[in-house]
Amino acid sequence: MSKTTSTDVLVIGGGLSGCMAAINAANHGAKVTILEKSHIERSGAAGTGNDHFWHWNPDIHPKLGWTIADMVRDISFDGEYGKTKGGYIDQELCEIVAAGTMEAVNNLESWGVQFKYDEIFPWNLQYEVPKGEKKYRIVPQFQSEWDTLNYDGRDLKKRLTEQCVKRRVKIFNRMAATGLLTKDRQIVGATGVDMRTGEFHVFKAKVVIMATGMDQSRLFTAPSGNWFNAQSPPTITGDGEAMAIRAGAEVFILQAGKTTNAGFQYMKNLVRSSGAATTCYPAGRYVNSEGETMIKHPAVREPLRKKRENVETSIREGKTPFYLDFTDAKEEEIAYAEWSYGNEGLCWVILEIMKDLGLDFRKDAFELALEPTGRLTDGFLALWINTECSSNVPGLFACSPVQFAGEVAAPTAAVLGWRSGEKAAKYSKEMEEHELDEKQIEAEKIRTTSPLKNTDGFTWQEVNLELNNIMEKYKRYVAGFNPSGIKDEISVTGIKTCLEQLEKLVASKMKAKDPHELVRCNEVINLIDVAKLMIRAAIEPEQYENSIWFLGKIVDNKPIFRKIPIKIKYPSKEAA
Amino acid sequence: MPPIIKDNCIACFKCVEICPTDILREGEGKPVVAYPEECWHCGACMMDCPVSAIKLDLPLWMRPVTKKVKK
Ligand SMILES: Cc1cc2nc3c(=O)[nH]c(=O)nc-3n(C[C@H](O)[C@H](O)[C@H](O)COP(=O)(O)OP(=O)(O)OC[C@H]3O[C@@H](n4cnc5c(N)ncnc54)[C@H](O)[C@@H]3O)c2cc1C
Ligand code: SF4
Ligand code: SF4
Repeated sequence: MSKTTSTDVLVIGGGLSGCMAAINAANHGAKVTILEKSHIERSGAAGTGNDHFWHWNPDIHPKLGWTIADMVRDISFDGEYGKTKGGYIDQELCEIVAAGTMEAVNNLESWGVQFKYDEIFPWNLQYEVPKGEKKYRIVPQFQSEWDTLNYDGRDLKKRLTEQCVKRRVKIFNRMAATGLLTKDRQIVGATGVDMRTGEFHVFKAKVVIMATGMDQSRLFTAPSGNWFNAQSPPTITGDGEAMAIRAGAEVFILQAGKTTNAGFQYMKNLVRSSGAATTCYPAGRYVNSEGETMIKHPAVREPLRKKRENVETSIREGKTPFYLDFTDAKEEEIAYAEWSYGNEGLCWVILEIMKDLGLDFRKDAFELALEPTGRLTDGFLALWINTECSSNVPGLFACSPVQFAGEVAAPTAAVLGWRSGEKAAKYSKEMEEHELDEKQIEAEKIRTTSPLKNTDGFTWQEVNLELNNIMEKYKRYVAGFNPSGIKDEISVTGIKTCLEQLEKLVASKMKAKDPHELVRCNEVINLIDVAKLMIRAAIEPEQYENSIWFLGKIVDNKPIFRKIPIKIKYPSKEAA
Repeated sequence: MPPIIKDNCIACFKCVEICPTDILREGEGKPVVAYPEECWHCGACMMDCPVSAIKLDLPLWMRPVTKKVKK
């Protein structure tokens, strides 16, 4: 018999959303357990910190004439999002997220995350508070609205961990969940492998919340050329998505695409995006090789979008490469940006490295990695939830990965996590404990631990690389369709070849020399399951006629797709 | 280069406990980098080391490319 733990609510993934879910489920009286593949204190995208938090503030924004609808519009029409035909931000969920952001900020603040300061600066939103009260440092982020808090979120995960511990949430660190357990389609628990000992565990639960993060890292070739030089955690590899697909859950698929404009995300070589965008507010400029300013405020995306012609012109005139340049800024502005860098996880490391290399924002400009027009974008897959945070599988709730409910960022994760915790706790009260199916458990144990026994076979790296090759081909085939309007011929045969190659890859035997490698093997297997559904969707080209995303699931080994566009409720400001 | 553990390490193993990509292990009284190619260069180990005994040295291909604008 495998080691078994019983709980009411099982949260898979102890990142930001998972912690919020666990805390609120415990607040609603449930016995809660978290499975975390890393270590909860520093795991997930927010593991080493966040520096900005988008929010709708009922004390400030109504006075400025901004409603929640304006906030939803602000996010939905940010850059490419709104321009994609049909749009793909779920407006109902996005409203829920916007409305819940203030509560999230208040909670985080009450747990010791500092959002308010004695001093605010000329580039922050100026507003009145009673004398002696501290203020938020508010900056614009999306188009024009002052909706984002700059704050010290470096130890966010430590504060969340304390709140979980305080509520007696049981935390299993280094426990990689491998599969969901079902009885007549109802979720009854999950299984996991300890990444340090290799021990197989069974978790019996009345309800499961999927919180494994919004990423399929390592599914596509990394833009940097290295899986571990990445903005998002390289170990968030679609585990939750694959577990859900295998349990029959309906998922959201965004097909690969092709960019219509040149853009920037990263400093050259160093893939940590905010360092070249949001976090350089208020003074980091984008300049061309002649030092001419192309974009004054890269953190504010509306000018970024409008000033694209400056970038295109500089490219045409050969004034490349481009740089992030603070050297003209005032000392006060640079100090503020450095404070933000220090709070923004991976960017804190940039500051440390700069010290070692003798670099200084006051003197040195940093080359930007230019992403050319026509660059192929990756596909994406996530669970599909309703406004109760429930998937179509009874007993399976989710907060991340789910369809786009705003920007893929902390506020969305925090609010949906919080909400799913409440909903799942209530659901668990109505549920009896089910008996587990021992045969299912045994099969899962063999499936997820066999690479440890194999002395010959492929390493996880070999299989992962081959998967990347196949997915790059898939990207080339489907990119002709996206964004819609550019109708290159889609090559169905090409995609079918991808699928056949993938099937062969699935059948290949993998080997792991220790439990750490075993978890990496399981990650790759999960990525393959995600890839299979993504490619199957691409075989149905009529899907492209109205949108670039689909809802799909696997039933009796057969993929089924349906198309219900997410309605964009609010037109863009220009259109309104 | 993954983290370099310096002489002042007091062997508390906090870094081994928290590394998000699970690349550090306990070995011969000191933390050892067991899976160097899987370092995310996230700095969590540096942040949590109580005695600043960890240095992160970026591999050449990860180093920023810069231009001197002011002396
Ligand atoms: C460097 C960086 C800086 C950022 N800065 C900001 C910012 O300033 N403002 C902002 O709004 N957003 C920011 N973001 C985005 C924001 O941090 C994320 O959107 C948010 O933290 C996501 O939380 P999550 O819970 O959805 O997922 P994650 O935090 O990714 O958590 C998923 C968790 O699930 C665990 N997990 C995965 N698979 C398994 C498995 N099989 N079994 C058990 N556990 C598993 C992972 O280890 C991880 O801890 C930043 C992101 C990064 C990477
Ligand atoms: S955290 Fe620092 S002191 Fe502790 S084991 Fe690691 S390097 Fe040594
Ligand atoms: S930098 Fe991050 S990934 Fe690398 S050893 Fe330290 S904690 Fe682990």
